[in-house]
Amino acid sequence: MKDYSISTGNTKTVSQLDAETKRKNRNSLLIKIFIWIMLILAAGICLLPFYSMLITSTHTNADITRKLLLLPGDHFIENYKRLVEVVPIWRGFLNSLIITCSATAIGLYFSALSGYGFSKFDFKFNGPLFAFVLATMMIPGQLGIIGFFKLMNMFGLINTYWPLIVPAANNAFGLFFLKQVADSAVPKEMLESGRIDGCNELQIFHRIALPLMTPAIATLGIFLFIGKWNEFLQPMIILFDNSLQPLPVMIASVRNQFSVDYGAQYVGIAISIVPILIVFALASKKIIGNVMAGALKQ
Amino acid sequence: MNKKNLLFTMLVFIFAIGTLVGCSGGEETSGGSDQELNNENMKPEDFKGELDIWTFFGGVEGMAKSFEEKYPNVTVNVEVFPGDQYQTKLMTAIQSRTDVPDIFDLERSYMGRFINQEFVANLSEMGKIEDRVENYVPYVKSLGEGKDGNVKAVSDHSSPGAFWYHRDLAKKYLGTDDPEKVSEMVSSWDKVIELGQKVYEESGGKVHLLSHYGDVFNVEKQHQEKWIQNGKLVIDPAWKDIFMDMKQIREKNVDAKLPYFSGGWGDALNEGGVIMFAMPAWGGFMVNNDGGQAKGKYGLAKTPSGYYEGGTFRAIYEGSDNKELAYEFIRYISGEEWQTKNLEETGNMPALKSVYEKKLDTYTHEFFGDQKILKQYYELVQDIPPHEAGEDQNAISTLFYDAASAAIDNGESYEQALERFKKLVSNGYPELEIE
Amino acid sequence: MFSRRIDKSPYGYLFIAPFFLVFFIFDLGPILYSFYLSFTDWSGFNTPTFIGLANYERLLQDTLFFKSIYNTLIIWILSIIPQLTIALTLALILHEKFIRGKHLFHAIFYFPNMVTPVTMGVLFALMFDWQNGSMNKLLMALGIVEDPVYWFNSPFLSQLIVASILMWQWFGFNMLVFLAGLQSIPEDLYEAAEIDGANKFQTAIKITLPLLRPVLIFTMITSVIGGMQIFDQPLMIGKGPENSTLTMVMHLYEAAFVRYEYGYGAAIAYGIFVLIAIATAFSMWMTKLKEKKEG
Repeated sequence: MKDYSISTGNTKTVSQLDAETKRKNRNSLLIKIFIWIMLILAAGICLLPFYSMLITSTHTNADITRKLLLLPGDHFIENYKRLVEVVPIWRGFLNSLIITCSATAIGLYFSALSGYGFSKFDFKFNGPLFAFVLATMMIPGQLGIIGFFKLMNMFGLINTYWPLIVPAANNAFGLFFLKQVADSAVPKEMLESGRIDGCNELQIFHRIALPLMTPAIATLGIFLFIGKWNEFLQPMIILFDNSLQPLPVMIASVRNQFSVDYGAQYVGIAISIVPILIVFALASKKIIGNVMAGALKQ
Repeated sequence: MNKKNLLFTMLVFIFAIGTLVGCSGGEETSGGSDQELNNENMKPEDFKGELDIWTFFGGVEGMAKSFEEKYPNVTVNVEVFPGDQYQTKLMTAIQSRTDVPDIFDLERSYMGRFINQEFVANLSEMGKIEDRVENYVPYVKSLGEGKDGNVKAVSDHSSPGAFWYHRDLAKKYLGTDDPEKVSEMVSSWDKVIELGQKVYEESGGKVHLLSHYGDVFNVEKQHQEKWIQNGKLVIDPAWKDIFMDMKQIREKNVDAKLPYFSGGWGDALNEGGVIMFAMPAWGGFMVNNDGGQAKGKYGLAKTPSGYYEGGTFRAIYEGSDNKELAYEFIRYISGEEWQTKNLEETGNMPALKSVYEKKLDTYTHEFFGDQKILKQYYELVQDIPPHEAGEDQNAISTLFYDAASAAIDNGESYEQALERFKKLVSNGYPELEIE
Repeated sequence: MFSRRIDKSPYGYLFIAPFFLVFFIFDLGPILYSFYLSFTDWSGFNTPTFIGLANYERLLQDTLFFKSIYNTLIIWILSIIPQLTIALTLALILHEKFIRGKHLFHAIFYFPNMVTPVTMGVLFALMFDWQNGSMNKLLMALGIVEDPVYWFNSPFLSQLIVASILMWQWFGFNMLVFLAGLQSIPEDLYEAAEIDGANKFQTAIKITLPLLRPVLIFTMITSVIGGMQIFDQPLMIGKGPENSTLTMVMHLYEAAFVRYEYGYGAAIAYGIFVLIAIATAFSMWMTKLKEKKEG
């Protein structure tokens, strides 16, 4: 643009300038429309599988096998009945909620506790221990899985929720995240004034530090919740009773037990997605904001 | 603190190993296992107490109910764990020796791993069970026997497979729906292939005789020499015939390319498009019978060889303190009374030859109209060669099928299939000698 | 004066003690115990018997193990390249001011990330089913193919499908990470560039990308660690033709929890650990090297 304007120099008339801006505007409008179309197309492709899933779940197996389905059918209830006769999918939902909520609560509390501990107390080996915590983040989750299974069996904890919930207290990422938060959001002076008021250290943490860290804890909470909700391998090997299993394990067993019944399978995955969709629709601004905030802190 | 942590780690570790060593007490045999029980002379009312059974099969609940009816003073608690988790569940319970049920079910595919273990009670020592299974279909009897020849697990059914065919399609494309005649038309795979080509051409490619070439494998896989002999992999030349039959079926459009128990397969079984399906007697739950629409819809024809699929066996836990009652349960399900009832109510084929023989001319099933299906099944079930449950035989056969189907789908030769197969075996069984 | 403060530092130990206690019981204990088990033969029934390095020797000869490494790498590469490209493109577009309804697009693109991986695996397995899948029905209706494509008969297509699950699931998340990165770039840099007459493309290459580099590097490293551990989605798809979608963790799972070769499974776990450690170290070294080069 620059070169052009120089070469034409001051010979450019007002009308020429006008035409140029018009053309420029037209060009950029075309580009904008093109980008818009691409965006909407991408969004469509992104949502298509979910649409297809919902539609397909309302048809008979014969139709699923034979036809391309674009519109809702009327067999959802039948498919659903076959599914819940064998797999207690809502029970799985409840189980998932129980496991995820307690693990998230424990994870948040202890991450805050230890993050605060590392941030505010200058004990011996603070540095090395913190480095050690960071190093444990590099250990892949599956490394100890066989020993974990065998040890939990020895402790008599197999087929209980303890091995799924208690280890949440040991979340290196959460600790790291909340230590940074405590570093910046909790001023030492406030702690001192708490001490002067005669609070003990735990009370100071509960009454002063924890409220100050709450926004960050909420952010971390979303990460922990999603992570726990989606966990699959551990509950699969730890829990045997159908009535105890969380949703992902049940979905996997739907796949095994309804290998031929596609209608029931579609209903199963639809049931696992729709509540998430609703929660997400209600809280998407918050969730996305938190993910972006969390992404920056990392 | 650091020292303490280290100490604690070591403690955990030592504790871990300590418990491990502590576990080795399994070698002691629980006393009194060789004393014979006296169940044969007791009356049903004499049995009292509670019995715990674990299973992966929901039908056991009906069995328990029937038992409770006959034994008024007994309560049977059945816990059902459907799906793949059952085996792990059972193993962990047995390892920790806590909450192990009196009776546990074993599926045919993995029972070989279990029945020779010391925690499985020897039924031969507990009573005259051998007299019972003597009258069993041979393959069901030998599957339940341990390496020492003693009875370790007992089933209450046999699970023979056969061709289920759509009667309307058979009439249209085979010219008859008479079970005898259809059986004759498919009595060898060569005939099947020839017939299948004809069906394909006459229907303009719309109808196929078979659903999938996997049927050949399923039907024939019990009739070869054992894979492992003296630590060596032995490949029976008969596998080549199986491979060639499978390959021809695919190449000559005999099959509809619908894998066994897939969605398309289930659809074809109910709606047509494929004439016949090699499937086991217990496969009836795949048939959609809403409003009785499947009444008389199918015929049953003999497969070229006899075969079976699956099977549930029941064993008693050696550490059970309720063995007398557990044994009585096993005795009950191995008897004519229960197996006849089971046949009539659920359509499960009996394990006792005598039940087959008594019902041969009278038993019918609604799917098959007035066809006396026990005739076909009884002939087929006796054609199945008896063999021990074994640990590896089935698993290696599956590897063969994996290799063979990969080769066929890629248009490869038998030699290439064998190459694939040997690779798979050497990964899974590193100690095995492979040429 | 008596205002000498009492040293409160030792209280810190109390605050971090639960974390470490749980770590030693539920993490380190099992890891060490797995290490011990990897030197034993243990099928679940017997007591583990020490067999020295036999499991590791077997691991080095296990062609399936190497195949699973290869599969994992291929799937990772097939998913990461389009995933990051799409994420970056979308982030750049959505960062533009003229786009309205940004939030709706954020939500749509991020949503797949909220869905349970197992569900995703089942959904794709159903969609790409040979005879019944909606994908084939759609392609045939559009006239793109004549006969249904047997996706899960081709090793490459199977890997591509698993990769596309991962791509679909993660591009929205990465897009948000990039957007967060973009938003942290100060506005006046762009204004200055505009005054200098740089066009959109030039600003993207000259300003945006270099400033986004830390974010890109972070994404790469986390996706290496995550990508090496893919399990849930391929497990629902199955091992694939010729074991082409058997990933490393699936191999571990099959050995330990399907075939009950716990000892060998533990050895596989350590094999995977070594590989991930190498991959992580390598990707860190690469980024350090680049930083040095560029001063």
